[in-house]
Amino acid sequence: MGAECRYEVAQAAYIKLVLHALKHCCSPVGGLLVGRLSDDDASTVQIGDAIPLTHSQIGLLPSLELALIQVEEHFGAEGLNVVGYYQANERYDDTELGNAAKKIGDHIFRYFPRAALLLLDNKRLEELLKGKGRDLAVQLYTRDSSKGWRQAGLDGSSQLTIKEPSANVLLLDYVSSEKWHDIVDFDDHLDDISKCIFQT
Amino acid sequence: MHRIVLKDKSNLLVTNFMSILLKFSPNFKRALQQRMETQLEAMLLEAKGAWADAEKAYACLLEDNPLDQVVHKRKVAMAKAQGNLSAAVDFLNKYLEIFMADHDAWRELAEIYVSLQMYKQAAFCYEELILSQLTVPLYHLAYAEASGLLLTSAHILKVLYTMGGLENLQAAKKYYAATINLTGGKNARALYGVCLCSVAINQLIKGRNKEEKESSELQSLAAEALLKDYKHKSPGKLPVLTTMLKNMKLIS
Repeated sequence: MGAECRYEVAQAAYIKLVLHALKHCCSPVGGLLVGRLSDDDASTVQIGDAIPLTHSQIGLLPSLELALIQVEEHFGAEGLNVVGYYQANERYDDTELGNAAKKIGDHIFRYFPRAALLLLDNKRLEELLKGKGRDLAVQLYTRDSSKGWRQAGLDGSSQLTIKEPSANVLLLDYVSSEKWHDIVDFDDHLDDISKCIFQT
Repeated sequence: MHRIVLKDKSNLLVTNFMSILLKFSPNFKRALQQRMETQLEAMLLEAKGAWADAEKAYACLLEDNPLDQVVHKRKVAMAKAQGNLSAAVDFLNKYLEIFMADHDAWRELAEIYVSLQMYKQAAFCYEELILSQLTVPLYHLAYAEASGLLLTSAHILKVLYTMGGLENLQAAKKYYAATINLTGGKNARALYGVCLCSVAINQLIKGRNKEEKESSELQSLAAEALLKDYKHKSPGKLPVLTTMLKNMKLIS
């Protein structure tokens, strides 16, 4: 099912998740992806927003459950739900998705069968920041028929697109103005509940 | 205060001892210099990513001085940097057999275990941490509270909760309750923790002997405290929280 599906990520979601990773550059980070099926084309999932969750140990449950409930409540009214999860690994050369992410993906898949996992590609991000690359700094993983998570685009197809082509330009702008300081994740919220995770 | 004074004293002792040695043994000075040079060289190799060479250098250093904490830790760091987590675990365990009071090492080991999803082992490390921190004299509890103890409790709680099972959940709930006590009910994580544990526990014991049912006072109090907190600091999220707590049957 995942193989025929296309994913269109909005600039807001993409930039937020990259900034989240940059804010906590020495820890693994993870967050939820929120979106809906496209009105025009039912085989495309539009990822509208990213909600940063954590910058500490990924594999531990309580915050995830709480966050899922609150995110679903918050976005339910707008017809959006949780459509995936993103992660950035701690080490630069770690390109593996990791079991914790896959488990979270499985959990989301139960409620949204077109769930997607996005893994930050550290090498592509580095190239971007140096002004060299053009590609999106994330890798898409979808669920295949054997219940595993498969990396998309290995055969050259582009299942993941970004809505606004100038996203990377805007990202670089935010990076140079250190916008990542504004990113609040669920961990931050639990430490100080006056901080809100739902901001644009 | 107490700990810092001791450290200064011991530094003074070491300096005095060193100066005596240096005076009477030029060989010692040379040997020390050489050792520091080798260590610096090894660290340079490590920083460059020349793993095999760095490893050889560190092994050499450890042969001469098997109690060198810095070198032991470099070995762990290198294993981690190469993604060899099982080696890192191995090295850390060996290190902790000698230096069992090293809090940072226990914490590091616990984090690696969590990333490997070896939750039982992680819980053990956190327990060691809590135990060693509890031996701090009472008037330092405030310091311990602010820095280490809370953080550690938070981690052990998450691990216990993730592992699941009735005993672990009940233990987690007790730790959360203790944290609420320590923090005067202001810690959102602990309040949420009690709520989540209660829900999970109740689900597990559904249909079991009614006597076993947990007193619902703790969780309703926690729920009320959360509502109050959010009303005060994050009123925009109050509706979401209220719905959530109602669904969890913690409030009516």
